[in-house]
Amino acid sequence: MLRATGITKRFSRVVALDGVDFAAAPGEIHALLGENGAGKTTLMNVLAGRLRPDAGAATLDGLELRAGSPAAALAAGIAAVHQSPMLFERMTWEENLALGAMGAGSGVRLALDRVANDARRLAERLGFELPAPRATVDERSMGERVRLEILHALSLDPRVLILDEPTAVLAPGELSAFLDLLRRLRSEGRIVILVTHKLAEALAVADRITVLRHGRVVATTAPASTSESALARLMIGELPEAAPEKPAPVEAARRVLLEISALTVEYRGNRALDAVTLGVGAGEIVGIAGVEGNGQAELVEVLAGARRPSAGRIALCGAERVWTDEIAVIPQNRDIDGLVLDMPLWENLLLARPIRKRMSRHGWLDRARALELCRELIRAFRIRAEGPGASAASLSGGNRQRLSVARALAQNPRVLVAHNATRGLDLAATAEVHRTLRAFAADGGAVLLISNDLDELLGVCGRLFVMSRGRIRETRPDERTPEALGLLMAGRWH
Amino acid sequence: MNARTESARDPFALLRPLAALAAAVALIALVLLALGASPARVFAALWEGAFGNWFALTDTLVKSTPLVFTGLAIAVAFSGSLWNIGADGQLIIGALAAGAVGPMLGGWPRPLGIAIVLVSGAIGGALWGGVCGWLRARRATSEVISTIMMNFVAMQLLSWAVHGPLMEPSGAYPKSVAIAPAARMYMFAPPSQLNPAMLLALGLALGCYFFLFRSTAGFELRALGRNRRAATFFGVPAGAVAIWAMALSGALAGLGGAVQVCAITHRLYEKMSPGWGYEAIAVALVARLDPRWIVASAIFFGALDSGSQAMQRTEGVSPVLVQVIQGLVILILLALDTPAFSRLRESFGRAAEASASGESAAEGGDA
Repeated sequence: MLRATGITKRFSRVVALDGVDFAAAPGEIHALLGENGAGKTTLMNVLAGRLRPDAGAATLDGLELRAGSPAAALAAGIAAVHQSPMLFERMTWEENLALGAMGAGSGVRLALDRVANDARRLAERLGFELPAPRATVDERSMGERVRLEILHALSLDPRVLILDEPTAVLAPGELSAFLDLLRRLRSEGRIVILVTHKLAEALAVADRITVLRHGRVVATTAPASTSESALARLMIGELPEAAPEKPAPVEAARRVLLEISALTVEYRGNRALDAVTLGVGAGEIVGIAGVEGNGQAELVEVLAGARRPSAGRIALCGAERVWTDEIAVIPQNRDIDGLVLDMPLWENLLLARPIRKRMSRHGWLDRARALELCRELIRAFRIRAEGPGASAASLSGGNRQRLSVARALAQNPRVLVAHNATRGLDLAATAEVHRTLRAFAADGGAVLLISNDLDELLGVCGRLFVMSRGRIRETRPDERTPEALGLLMAGRWH
Repeated sequence: MNARTESARDPFALLRPLAALAAAVALIALVLLALGASPARVFAALWEGAFGNWFALTDTLVKSTPLVFTGLAIAVAFSGSLWNIGADGQLIIGALAAGAVGPMLGGWPRPLGIAIVLVSGAIGGALWGGVCGWLRARRATSEVISTIMMNFVAMQLLSWAVHGPLMEPSGAYPKSVAIAPAARMYMFAPPSQLNPAMLLALGLALGCYFFLFRSTAGFELRALGRNRRAATFFGVPAGAVAIWAMALSGALAGLGGAVQVCAITHRLYEKMSPGWGYEAIAVALVARLDPRWIVASAIFFGALDSGSQAMQRTEGVSPVLVQVIQGLVILILLALDTPAFSRLRESFGRAAEASASGESAAEGGDA
């Protein structure tokens, strides 16, 4: 029995957890639901010994866990998988896995071959795809990293497995195998804690569901005695918005704004993009579905102008350009690719080239104007910040994403490329981003939405493409179901 | 303006170096006591030697000047996470360029002669640093390695020059021909070595501050330094920035070397730098890479240098002790930058907040 009582944790001004009681029994999958900032991740970090609570204590089978000691938590058999993977970037994935117990043995020599073999066996059971042998982590996509983290945690043979939003980056094909794995772990008498804000998932797999709101437990319930709408009410304290409006029907004759033809990217012997061709018209939201690591990141980098394609071209309104300031990008991984966390907000706006150009005169920054723009955006996008001088790190995840979206729109682009723009956001913030994208398209802009959230793509996009192993294919209307898309994402059309 | 840089917003940014200094002084005092010496008298001698009289003061300023140049060189490079360990070599090459050009300037108008000598030094340093930037940008060579290696090359090059092509005709000692009088820096108040180079250093410090924090190029450099991935994602050309930033860094260090030849030595010797390029790393780190604070930080280290000589004369304490103080200040400063210190700061913040809210509650009660 894992039990936490009266856990309170403050971060200077913010009370992240306020007297939380939580218990999970062996042989139980316990879902932890809540909006962004509800305290889910903080609670998980307390249980995993990564944070020392200001009050309260956690016990496992009656034995008190030493607070703030990850080593003690690990020794007690508590393993945690983080939403943003904590891996050694410049080491190979085998070396990363070897840090756990996996196959490495206790000898002097590191038996990386055994690690790789064990990993392969485990990955096969899970239906995971492993990177190429000896590949370093820094080249891997977020999805691949999370999969490695999960393998790593399982290799520790934990009694308690805590997973923080693990399914956000899994493909539909991987999802069912993953949920089966959780059920198997449960049948082995382990405790599985699933941190998520996906209601359906919690209902499908959990034995009990604890809902957090503003750092407090608002309910602990069983799936049988609740429903999605009831859970949503508990999570946000009000009814979620009505189902998203149906996407506008595809119009045949639309002026094509963004035209990508036969785009190919090759590096280190890999063909990341393979003759990708697609067009986005004015007023249109075009989606690209796919399992992460299938070329989406490279496509976005080319569109952002950060990567040179090996072949193919990008045209904007028919005019060919290698680089253009009229494409604005909302990158995935806002903390890694999108923002400079220890710079103030106004300087983060300047990161976008068009804004930087606009705010520069003869090579000098026009501070006053940049600050004014920042204040305007803070108001317009309701970013909760102390002011333009606050560091990006001081913002919560949702507000960081607002800043990223605000910056993209402030570039006055004609094309908006959004890559996993709502990952990790709660229902309200997600709806807000979708509204923004729709409004941008309605004003005659072109939106390319790259996501691995099928519900989002089906709800927002007009035309929908699927990407797999660097290639792209448009979906037919009859393929626009999660099941059919899942098969396509797994590459069943090559 | 309520938008200041992070460091300016941090009320502890200034306190930290001072606390480190105090802690170092306390530690040294304990050591002195253990040795049976009087800490008060030793520190008094140190102070006297650094600031006690006109001679001491000018000596301190003169000793600080090269540290300002090299400190700025480090600050510029480190702001972009370009780890330039080669300020020493760049300074030597700057001196070499100045010492090679200087003797040819006989008969030139003096302001022009001085300018030419200084510019030669800056160009020499820029090339020396720029090569490492280019290696980093185009050949992915770590600038840490390449700049250290270039230090050795620079040292040997200087040694070869003063033994060979640039050697004095009399040829008795390894030193070069003196630079032409027209290429020598003005002196404010001979016999003291006080000269306008310190003002130049001050001006450059301000210039570097505005460049780093107010110019577009400086912003790109800092963005790359803080988050390389995000900066390159948004189209900051990392390669080009590495080249010009290393060249600029080298130019500042090279200028420091040229100033030394132009104002102090007037010729080249086998050893032109007592390690200013390395000491500069400490100067820049203590100043938290803020060019405005580098002047103060350089004067502090310069004062330790000049004060230590007086300390040795009057108290018989080895100048090695000063190096120990320097080392301790840096170590303690780095130690204060730990999570433990952040936690302390957090609890300070909470206490301040609590007392503030207590006050407002009291006011509410009055009303």
